[in-house]
Amino acid sequence: MEGLSSDRWRERGLELSDSQIIEQTLEGQPDAFNVLVRRWERHIYGLTLRMLGRDDEAKDATQETFLSAYRNLSKFRGEAKFSSWIYRIALNICNTRLRSRARVAVSIEEQYEAVGFEIAAETEELGSDIQREQITRYVRRALQALPAEMRQVIVMKEYEGLKFSEIAEILGIPISTVKTRMYTGLTELRKRLDHLRGAI
Amino acid sequence: MKGNMEECGMHEALMSYLYGEATKDEAARVEKHLNACASCKAELEGFERVRDMLQQWQVDDLPIVRVSVDGPQRSFFSVVKELFAVAPLWAKVTAVAALALLVLAVTGTEVRVGSGGVSLRADLLRRQRPALQTVSVSDTANLEQVRAEVKGLVNTLIAESEKQEKEELQRQLQALEAQLTTARSTELARLASRIQEHQVKIQTIERDIDRREGADLTDILFGELAKPTANSSVAAGGN
Repeated sequence: MEGLSSDRWRERGLELSDSQIIEQTLEGQPDAFNVLVRRWERHIYGLTLRMLGRDDEAKDATQETFLSAYRNLSKFRGEAKFSSWIYRIALNICNTRLRSRARVAVSIEEQYEAVGFEIAAETEELGSDIQREQITRYVRRALQALPAEMRQVIVMKEYEGLKFSEIAEILGIPISTVKTRMYTGLTELRKRLDHLRGAI
Repeated sequence: MKGNMEECGMHEALMSYLYGEATKDEAARVEKHLNACASCKAELEGFERVRDMLQQWQVDDLPIVRVSVDGPQRSFFSVVKELFAVAPLWAKVTAVAALALLVLAVTGTEVRVGSGGVSLRADLLRRQRPALQTVSVSDTANLEQVRAEVKGLVNTLIAESEKQEKEELQRQLQALEAQLTTARSTELARLASRIQEHQVKIQTIERDIDRREGADLTDILFGELAKPTANSSVAAGGN
């Protein structure tokens, strides 16, 4: 498999597992890593976008995630899944970015109040023909108003379809904590989005 | 801010139930509770609606990720492995020999080559090796004899080496002399040839000068004499 072109890697990569591709990359075939990028970029972008809420920042974070993974590939231990490892990198990058935004820490109630008023005001104008884009906008805002530790659990569960045990492994916390964060997060979202119930 | 399920102590089970991860027993317990608790049932329905809303946010756009860096930080072992793979055969053999020597040195292995063949003795940590050897009187005599023999041998070798050096110098001197002689004779021959050429040239020039001088004198002499002769003939004719 030595010296394969990018195109050939794209073809062959479909047959290989993540671990095999990592092995090939470490043996001096950087093109192999692009197969992993293609395989995981949508997931990582989805995660960073829903965590950060800003498209341009999510793209940068996605790029940063893969660069970081590439540079630290030799440190990857096969014991964990590559997906868990790269999700962890992406979440760390998101958390760093969120912290650097230097937002004033406010309580969940304050955040709810801040976002809730805005939504309530617009809801009256929306009527029953709410468009998907508008719902998306509210969902986006409601998610952004959640504390990061709740948001990341909801994103990984709802959008990445990970099991509670996988999320626990990625975050390094007990499964019960994951479920509690999930429950609290959904309760918050329900409060913020329940007024849109007629639109779904 | 506790929800209903949390108050009822069912929130973890509900999460498993909501996402289809509950065991049979867990699912049965949740369903039993939901039949009895209207507020928990309403909460579950609310969560299902939230899930539907969350699913409205789908990602259509995809970033273009380009990973073009210097290369991942590879382990020392993988770098050595690759270097070894591309190295020429002689380098591989040298590396293996060096590694073997290193291992032998680290394990304190002694290798002896004698009349009895090759013998190896590994002494890891060097525990069994005597620190100092005691020398007996008879050993001292033998040692003196060996030392004298070695001294004689070394002196002979030095003398032979000096002799060889002298001979070599002598040969070089002779060669230089021969070169010098050849160069001298060649130079002399060239000089003689030049002198000869110059002599020939001088003789030629002298001959030319002589010829010219002769011609000039003739011109002068006969030119001067010709004029009165013409005049005299006219005078003679006129007379």
